Amino acid sequence: MSPITPYTYFQCPCSDSALFRPGDGSPSSPKNRDFGDEDGAFDPRAPRANYSLYPLEYLLYCEDCHQIRCPRCIAEEIATFYCPSCLFEVPSSNIKSEGNRCTRSCFQCPVCIAPLSVTSFETQPDPNLLGAQDHSAAHHGGPYVLNCSYCNWSSTETGVKFDKSNGIHGQLAKQRNGGTTRLTAKERKERRKELVQSGGSAQGSDHIADEHGIDMETQFANLKHFYQTQLSSSTSGGSGFSGLGELGFSSPTSLSRIMSIYTGGGSLHDKKSKSRLGNMREALEEDEGLIVANLDESAAIEKLRSEGLEGTIDTEQLQNQPPNLGEPHLHGRTRFTSELRPIPYLLRTKRSKRCPVCRHIISKPEAKIQTTRFRIRLIAGNYVPSITIRPLVLPGSSGFIQHPDALLQPLRPIQYMLTFKNPIFETVKISLATPSRTPGRFASKVTVLCPQFEIDANTDVWDEALKDDNRRKRKGEESGNPHQQPEVGKIWERGRNWVSVIVEVVPASLRVDLLEAAPDEEGDEEGEASEKPKVKREVDRGPLREDEDLLEIPMFVRVEWEVDAVGEELGSSRDKEAKEKRELAYWCVLGLGRVAQGN
Amino acid sequence: MSRKPPRGEYIETDTGNKVARKATLVGTQNIMLGGKTVIQQEVMIRGDLIRSLPSSSSSGGGPPSNTAVAIGRYCFLSRGCCLKPPGRLYKGVFTYMPLRMGDHVFVGQNTVVQAAQIGSHVNIGAQVVVGEFAIIKDFVRILDGSVVPANMVIPSFSIVAGQPAKVIGEVPEGGHDAFELRDLYKSVGNNPQPAPS
Repeated sequence: MSPITPYTYFQCPCSDSALFRPGDGSPSSPKNRDFGDEDGAFDPRAPRANYSLYPLEYLLYCEDCHQIRCPRCIAEEIATFYCPSCLFEVPSSNIKSEGNRCTRSCFQCPVCIAPLSVTSFETQPDPNLLGAQDHSAAHHGGPYVLNCSYCNWSSTETGVKFDKSNGIHGQLAKQRNGGTTRLTAKERKERRKELVQSGGSAQGSDHIADEHGIDMETQFANLKHFYQTQLSSSTSGGSGFSGLGELGFSSPTSLSRIMSIYTGGGSLHDKKSKSRLGNMREALEEDEGLIVANLDESAAIEKLRSEGLEGTIDTEQLQNQPPNLGEPHLHGRTRFTSELRPIPYLLRTKRSKRCPVCRHIISKPEAKIQTTRFRIRLIAGNYVPSITIRPLVLPGSSGFIQHPDALLQPLRPIQYMLTFKNPIFETVKISLATPSRTPGRFASKVTVLCPQFEIDANTDVWDEALKDDNRRKRKGEESGNPHQQPEVGKIWERGRNWVSVIVEVVPASLRVDLLEAAPDEEGDEEGEASEKPKVKREVDRGPLREDEDLLEIPMFVRVEWEVDAVGEELGSSRDKEAKEKRELAYWCVLGLGRVAQGN
Repeated sequence: MSRKPPRGEYIETDTGNKVARKATLVGTQNIMLGGKTVIQQEVMIRGDLIRSLPSSSSSGGGPPSNTAVAIGRYCFLSRGCCLKPPGRLYKGVFTYMPLRMGDHVFVGQNTVVQAAQIGSHVNIGAQVVVGEFAIIKDFVRILDGSVVPANMVIPSFSIVAGQPAKVIGEVPEGGHDAFELRDLYKSVGNNPQPAPS
């Protein structure tokens, strides 16, 4: 229920099918779109509106389509991958082979996600003693550990130590929690090859599986090996289900197809196998990749009893854990903090953005990581007038001064100053339209005192400095005396490239028992078939829902301006002096604040 | 060096720095201000915590300077914040390292900064703790109440929050201008100008 400062959201046209309806898009007079056409009015409370409203900074602008583009509708392309911790670029070929995490020595704490630093185990007392790149690490030598300076987690808690202070990622891959070593995939393959050469493969894989049970990577390797031998040795013997043969679950063809998907290579898949039909047997032993789920959880229960709930991992920590192929399958296993692994940093990207319609690039950063420049950056703020909202405080007005953060008092008219700032170098004409009542159960009354006005062009910054005095004078002229009152049809204040107009709002009362009055009044106002709306509308007297006290005004903005006809495609036949008319129309939402409750 | 005979709230230097009289600057000879920087009341800058080791050849080819805190142009240090150079054991000796800050850096109220490096166009909120030897790159926004852990590197265009801080979002393309502090600089001082609308 905290009060909010006024904000403006702009709607991207991508999500609003209503805006493209015939008749709506046409430049009809704002009166037409006012309230008579109820469906045309944009409802900021609609669930869909959440996905189309953005602050101006988030919006881009396509110069070819002359349209606003939002983060939801643009197409992104990754320009560079880099590690957010060491800021080294990772080539995209490495992403394919080594995954989307940093393979240098950048790790996050598995408990609190703060960065880990490599420290020498001998001189552990000071946690921020040494950084990973520090030379002095060489002086101390000895085993190294990863240390979190935020929560004091250390990799010794899970029994992981390193011999060298660099290449931690590689060293960690070879270690299980508890410090026992683990074969990497490459080593396992080599060992298997040796064993196959020396003797039967069945005995060989007994040695591969060590006392810790088979981890996921080993299991996968075993399965792959088993099926590859099956494929190569399977003969066209058993016919069995000849009808299903080609598509059967254990037919060689579908198996080799699946294997080529999951193992990438498909190297063993020889052309001959296509003609072979029949079934093969499935894996039956551990060496062949079959692992029977271990449903005996007594060990986990015992551990839980001794360590308590503190010893277990919460879901957030679990989610942050990288997929670890070096651990046994998850059947019936509980997660304990002793199983946490340091998290290698997820890589980050620099992305360029394209217009979804014309495919032109509308934002493109420099590829180098250290630079923050953009090659192309078409932001909507450079094309669309910005809108700032400020409560109007008249200098002569007596009584209370509206604090900008205060809650709005129901049924008490408030005036707001909307300042439109023109970013383009042409004079623009702006037409505003709002529904006279905000949508929703509690309809506040809205009146824009000056719905049509012109804003001067955004001239050079130096002109502004030189004309500074001029502007002051002009402001004085327009506003006349300091005790100026807002008047209908008049601009409140005007500057070099900005204009302020007044909008008057009467916030609705949030009392549910008064709700009946609103639809009645409306029926009278419209004057047409006053019976109908009454019958249709059931007064919803439910309790106040979330954000119903929020006063948001949908406003349709139409910007018109003239540009010199560039004349390449369009204006070749026209005169040189011909001006091309441009128009941009969009909905925005003005969030004014929350209405006070209880009166 | 106040320009006007009546003592204003701020001391305005020739390079345009506006330093509040009630700010505590320790070891001023080790504090470098780039100019047009605002230092508000009750700010503390620990310039006395200089590198105690003679900067040897291992520390790179930098000039042998005693700078403890280096601040760029158009920085804004809000009331009650503290800049303290980070320190650690280096080859068995405890030493402080300089704190470097780029241009257009906003530091919120009651924030403690012990970073090693802060880039340009950085907005650090109120009640934030930036841990020792943190590195903050350009165009970073740190929300109020965050605790940036020691040694953390925050890449460009990040929005950071939480305890410990983590990257929660990205600064949009159109949001770069919001980091400009020129207007804010003009709005404080002995004869402040109102912010242009």
